[in-house]
Amino acid sequence: MAGGTVTLDQLVAWLARFAELMAENRSYLTELDSAIGDADHGSNMARGMSAVMAKCGATPSTAVDELFKQVGMTLVTSVGGASGPLYGTFFLRFGSAAGPVAELDAAALAASLRAGLGGIVARGKAELGDKTMFDAMSPAVDAFDTEIAAGADLSSALAGSAAAAVAGRDATEPLVARKGRASYLGDRSAGHLDPGATSTAFLFQALAEAVA
Amino acid sequence: MISVVVVSHSPALAQAAVDLALQMVPGDKPAIAIAAGAGEGLIGTDATAVSAAIDEVASPDGVLVIMDLGSAVMSAEMALDFRSSEVEVRLSSAPFVEGLLAAIVTAAGGASIDEVDREARGALSPKISLLGPAAPAIVVAPPVTAGLSAEVTVINPDGLHARPAATLVSTLAGFDAKLTVANRRTASAPVAANSLIGLLSLGAKAGDVLTVAASGAQAAEALAKVTELVTDGFGEL
Repeated sequence: MAGGTVTLDQLVAWLARFAELMAENRSYLTELDSAIGDADHGSNMARGMSAVMAKCGATPSTAVDELFKQVGMTLVTSVGGASGPLYGTFFLRFGSAAGPVAELDAAALAASLRAGLGGIVARGKAELGDKTMFDAMSPAVDAFDTEIAAGADLSSALAGSAAAAVAGRDATEPLVARKGRASYLGDRSAGHLDPGATSTAFLFQALAEAVA
Repeated sequence: MISVVVVSHSPALAQAAVDLALQMVPGDKPAIAIAAGAGEGLIGTDATAVSAAIDEVASPDGVLVIMDLGSAVMSAEMALDFRSSEVEVRLSSAPFVEGLLAAIVTAAGGASIDEVDREARGALSPKISLLGPAAPAIVVAPPVTAGLSAEVTVINPDGLHARPAATLVSTLAGFDAKLTVANRRTASAPVAANSLIGLLSLGAKAGDVLTVAASGAQAAEALAKVTELVTDGFGEL
């Protein structure tokens, strides 16, 4: 297995970059959501991540599990829409899998991402092709594992993972939604990117940038 | 007496639904807690507010949670991980307004959580008996006896979604036959092939094998037509 670790500071930088991307793309995400949902994904995620950064600034964590418990709970209480429990569960499970450590090596990061993905499945019961955030996250987590197994270092594995998330996001465009508010639209949901898959692609972009 | 937790995106909606239900309860009423809105006047739900509501009214007889849609369901499920009380908590699939009314009235009468949940889930029955069934399609189709059957594979990339399902329904309208369809992957109960909602409830994806059964005067013709439609990708490929 390739060397390298992700430090607590880099994980905080990941969250900060994700918060930044949510703020910058607030209107874009809401526009995507207004096409097939209830037009609140951008504002919900921007508000949630801004609350996360405020919390992280006020009470800095000294361990990965503590950090992500705080992140997950803050999202659950501040997002409002389904992305609150979904991203909340992702980060809570990510943190529990990581444990009370100060840094993660590739194997620990892979296990934490996999646990987070499992949380999304447990909470949302989505499958591949349902036009949800799972369609971006599942290939991203798989790509990370594949790259690491092939001997890539952490930063290039995360770059590969981010690219897979983008490809997964793009693949949601022609799909008909089977979950969430968009599923009420049936065929009319086809032809639009899924907002959740789009924010998830930003999540993996932020991680790749924080560890580059 | 069991207690009731009401989860909604909107505090106003939750309060109004509770007020409506309480009009029916002159005497002792169950403990009711509302978890609604995402704080700061925002429409949404908050799993920690739901778990706090559950803990607030936790009754040894149990807590029934009635919720509106979407994230309310997800937040209620997540609240089960957060709550500190250990009493039985049941998430009900009951419709929000009618179900809440039935739940509160039944709970006030001292019924068990099973009875209250059953009443709440069945709360659309009066409306259905006045206006006709809501979604008869989801109800298991009567078995097709002494008929023919075939297995066909869905090849459309998006599976048996609304458009092909509608094509199937309209095509079958011309036949004197009864057909049912089941999804072998999910081992679902068969649904009536002339029901759009029933067909959609199969959740058939590309590659899934459908078991189609037919009976009636034109069973063979109808079955052949369905096989042709499915094999042909419903003409949309």
